[in-house]
Amino acid sequence: MKHIIKIMALLVALSAFWISLLQTSVLPESYTWLLPLYFIVSLGSYGLLMVGVGLMRFPTCPQEAILLQEDIVEAKGFLKGKGVDVGSD
Amino acid sequence: MEVADRAIGLLLSVISLSIFTYYTFWVIILPFVDSEHFVHKYFLPQEYAILIPVYAGVVLICFLSVFIGYVMLKSKKKKA
Repeated sequence: MKHIIKIMALLVALSAFWISLLQTSVLPESYTWLLPLYFIVSLGSYGLLMVGVGLMRFPTCPQEAILLQEDIVEAKGFLKGKGVDVGSD
Repeated sequence: MEVADRAIGLLLSVISLSIFTYYTFWVIILPFVDSEHFVHKYFLPQEYAILIPVYAGVVLICFLSVFIGYVMLKSKKKKA
């Protein structure tokens, strides 16, 4: 319950800031109308950028992959010897 | 496999950066440029700068609700 109150408080603060920007005319009015939309679009593109960068830097550990395959073969042989059905091969 | 992953990651980053720079140019820099400058040819009229993100957001919300409704219906039919 407390977390959503924090999120709503943040939203109310942001809208108050935006409305005050509209009233005091620090920036030209046409800019202030487009500002929330611009922030939403830039947040979406930032998320997409983080996903792309994370995909590019994903580590694959090839030695661990080989060791894992060896472990799998050994486990399958052990279980088959004990009479357990180990599935498709 | 990792080459394909890195290619897709690079494509996503390039798309996001290009969307960001195009939209920044459109909304922030273009109103300051004289209306006879040649660069206005490359940008749609300013109303589209509002319509396209709003339309994309509405399409996204509709798609999400349709998907959630479909999954709920399928689970209910499987239980009954």
